[in-house]
Amino acid sequence: MLELTTKYFGTVTYQEESVVLFPGGLPGFPDEKRFLLVEQALNKPIVFLQSLARFELCFLTLPVRGLQPDYELSIAAEDLRVLGLDEERQPAIGTEVACLAILSLSEDRPPTANLLSPVVINWKTRTAVQAVQIDSGYSHQHPLFAEEAVEACS
Amino acid sequence: MLVIRRRAGQSILIGDEIEIEVVEVGPTRVKLGIHAPRGVTVLRKEIVLTREENRLAARSLSSGHDFADTVAEIVTEIRNSKGGAGGPISR
Repeated sequence: MLELTTKYFGTVTYQEESVVLFPGGLPGFPDEKRFLLVEQALNKPIVFLQSLARFELCFLTLPVRGLQPDYELSIAAEDLRVLGLDEERQPAIGTEVACLAILSLSEDRPPTANLLSPVVINWKTRTAVQAVQIDSGYSHQHPLFAEEAVEACS
Repeated sequence: MLVIRRRAGQSILIGDEIEIEVVEVGPTRVKLGIHAPRGVTVLRKEIVLTREENRLAARSLSSGHDFADTVAEIVTEIRNSKGGAGGPISR
């Protein structure tokens, strides 16, 4: 078992096989390639994406199907290649890949999820990529919570 | 915004050193060729949006508030949104 010191979870023990590798890093973090998925019963359904190299770098994510039950992947062949998947078809969420949306929490605006560019993880190889959805209409700032509908006076 | 119509094979020049050529026009996509000097970064917009959003997301936990409180708050909101016949959060 290996140990990792993290800012938010203290010391975490893990096995090398649990490490998720982003060969190209993530947009904005090209050098951050190795992450751990951290789940806590207390904080379900959040899945934390904790950097192995930078102890203070930790993304909050949610499984996309929890946000959009009918979410399907439509990512580029190049991303499928990086993931080591068949380039001729989109992978199945859940069985072949995990699909997570990174959350943004800020004082200035309501919380949002990036559904335009989900993190896609090949379960078998533990390889991951943050892939841009093609032609999806999804937003990189999808509101987590529906706004209160404002009814016009009738 | 300047709007210009181009056919396949035609180009647009931006400044002295950037040229955008419409290589091919398809039913749903356009293939563009870009000539730009080395120092100029050319990126698909979604990548730039993702990059900026990731940087914001990375700061989600460093607001100065306690990690446990920040996460507990969002988890509570998420759980409160679910449930009833509606099930998971959806638009």
